Amino acid sequence: MLVNNSASPNARYVTWAQSPCSVRLTNTSGATGPVQVTLRNKPPASKGRVVFQQTRTSARVASLNLTLPLNGASVTFFVSGAFGHASTADKDCIIQVMRGTQVLLEVPVMVRIRKNANKLTVAERNRFIAAFATLNNRGTGRFTDFRDMHTDASRSQGHDRPGFLPWHRAYLLDLERELQAIDPSVALPYWRFDRPAPKVFTRDFLGAAGPGGEVQFSANNQFQFWVTDGIPGIVREPGFDTATEGANVLSEAQTLALSSSYGPFRSSMEINPHGWAHTSFDDGAIISINTAARDPLFFLLHANVDRLWAKWQRQFIRFLTTQPDTYDNSSTRAGHRLADTMWPWNGITGGTRPPTAPGGTLAGSNTVSAPGPQPFVRDMFDYQGGFSATARLGFDYDDVRFA
Amino acid sequence: MSSKRARKSGGKARTKSRAAPARTSNAKASTGYVAALAATPYVKQANELERKPTKQSGRKGAASRKGKPAYGTAAAYRQCAATARDTSKRPAQRISALRDMTPGMLDDARQFASVLDILKNPNEPTVVRLAALRSLEAASFAVNRFDAYRNDYVQALRSITNDKDEEVRTRVLGALARMSDRPAQELLLTGLKEPAKALVPPEKALQLLSYDVHADAYAAARDIAAKPPTKAARRAALRLLAADATSAPVFTKILKDKSETAAIRQLSATALHAIAPDQLQEQARQILLDAKEDDQVKAVSLTALTDLRRADQGDVDDRLYQHVNRMHGRSDSALVKRSAKRFLKKYKR
Repeated sequence: MLVNNSASPNARYVTWAQSPCSVRLTNTSGATGPVQVTLRNKPPASKGRVVFQQTRTSARVASLNLTLPLNGASVTFFVSGAFGHASTADKDCIIQVMRGTQVLLEVPVMVRIRKNANKLTVAERNRFIAAFATLNNRGTGRFTDFRDMHTDASRSQGHDRPGFLPWHRAYLLDLERELQAIDPSVALPYWRFDRPAPKVFTRDFLGAAGPGGEVQFSANNQFQFWVTDGIPGIVREPGFDTATEGANVLSEAQTLALSSSYGPFRSSMEINPHGWAHTSFDDGAIISINTAARDPLFFLLHANVDRLWAKWQRQFIRFLTTQPDTYDNSSTRAGHRLADTMWPWNGITGGTRPPTAPGGTLAGSNTVSAPGPQPFVRDMFDYQGGFSATARLGFDYDDVRFA
Repeated sequence: MSSKRARKSGGKARTKSRAAPARTSNAKASTGYVAALAATPYVKQANELERKPTKQSGRKGAASRKGKPAYGTAAAYRQCAATARDTSKRPAQRISALRDMTPGMLDDARQFASVLDILKNPNEPTVVRLAALRSLEAASFAVNRFDAYRNDYVQALRSITNDKDEEVRTRVLGALARMSDRPAQELLLTGLKEPAKALVPPEKALQLLSYDVHADAYAAARDIAAKPPTKAARRAALRLLAADATSAPVFTKILKDKSETAAIRQLSATALHAIAPDQLQEQARQILLDAKEDDQVKAVSLTALTDLRRADQGDVDDRLYQHVNRMHGRSDSALVKRSAKRFLKKYKR
């Protein structure tokens, strides 16, 4: 069986979107004609669960009957995570190929989904911390590039213009893929900033504010070794009670109701809730563009901004850039038009672009081919591949359905 | 009421959980678009989409009936700006208004100036002044539109670095320090050298200087670490010195010293990992072999050996492995047990 059109176990990660798969007979001994098989989730049900489709527009079903030709020709189908049934551990979902009651094949997959950070299991949380700490590697690892991508020198590439949302989507995707290169079971969690997050701002996760705002970690939390710009640790002093309150930002419902058109939606939400989520802290790197990426929380904050965009996209069906309300393509600034490549992945420096381009090209994926090493703004919209199967970016959020 | 307490009660403005009415646009999908959707998995949503504009119009209409301008419109921003300026309103109302006017104030110089005025006015309640600062900082994310106001903003901040209200002073210096504002850095450094002129406590000054470390800050940090006025100042100085590779001996000494607090030894381990990771590995081993060591420091050491050891540093030795194995069985500390378990799993014999 091929998952995501690949035989590699490294490609066996699915989201709510449709992963193209195929199956064929490799051992025909005993068979005299086409073999009827059924695809299903191995019982008993695990946390991660998938559904099947024969074609992209057919119904999603819990088990799928297929007829496999004797000549070994492949039969195609699609696998998606069953909405609401994301995995909690790597490859915790087993696809079984049954012939009657006989198990012909078992293929472990993971329904890998970006989740609310406040709802992660301890194991999910610890895997995320371990991967992120490895990426940071005492301030000398690959994370340095991500820190250097988001500074005053580059602020016009991803802020205050239409490209705000696409640029940050690419940025998060690049980071997430680097985390997955360390541990493929990790997906970037999001900080739902309009809700209390009692399990996020703790010594065991992103740290609890200590006296003076220096974040405190438990002795076995690898974030205690976090270093950026040569300085160990994180300064972050919330201006609200993180255990009982959300930040003082527009709620999700208010944000989604800002406008059905991209221009006003983006320009409003960039300041509130996005800007106000950053400035809901009394002190800390998170407050300003130039320093925000020093704090791991920044990436969870932006995952939520991206999730709000994804929710908005689904609410108004804003995936196709030919639909005028999907994007405001009126900017004259390079990097903000649909047909522009995005810095720094395009390597372009000088002029209206920043003087340096840290980090090289965008990381590849074992599960999808998009957006390629030098993404265009236009590549960030059909992220689930609903309109073009090859546009799939390989991520999904726990509460944003596919189609 | 102290400003801290006031912030807790009024800092998060309570707003009704109304959904802001959508500004309708050409939300109604074109027939061609809906037809295109019919060939995709979105066919069901396309049909729903055709029905949605009616609902949105209704919501906007409801807002108008109440006499309130629709959220996100110039009229709504003007109304928020008026509320924000109105000293007869409750602080929570004004804070809420400051938040809601933020997206619009960059399009209206008078509104922007009025927020600066609130921030600078010592007669305004602290919570409202701090909300004004929050609003300005949030607006600064709109980098291009904010550029027109940036100079006014920086000048306003600089004008109140000596504000009588310590919390305002601290927050304003923080905003400037994150911008690497040289005059603000000079003020912080001067305060470290001449405490009588200090605008904020030394630990806060060092912390703010750490947003953009330069040589002057190292010198000040070294002086404070050698002769700390407070424990907090010493900790902040040590944190800053971790960026200086020549400080490794200082951190090795602290990490070995059992008379130091576990927290400061934990910080030293972090610093040592940053500037001399091999030394941390060696010190961590020594700490674990010492039966009289503190549990928290043992747990930090186990984490360092389990998670930070590079492949080229090789496996841990048998003596250490067996020692941790015994520690896992005998320790009363859940933290040590948990950390030891991870160590044993990684270096399983």
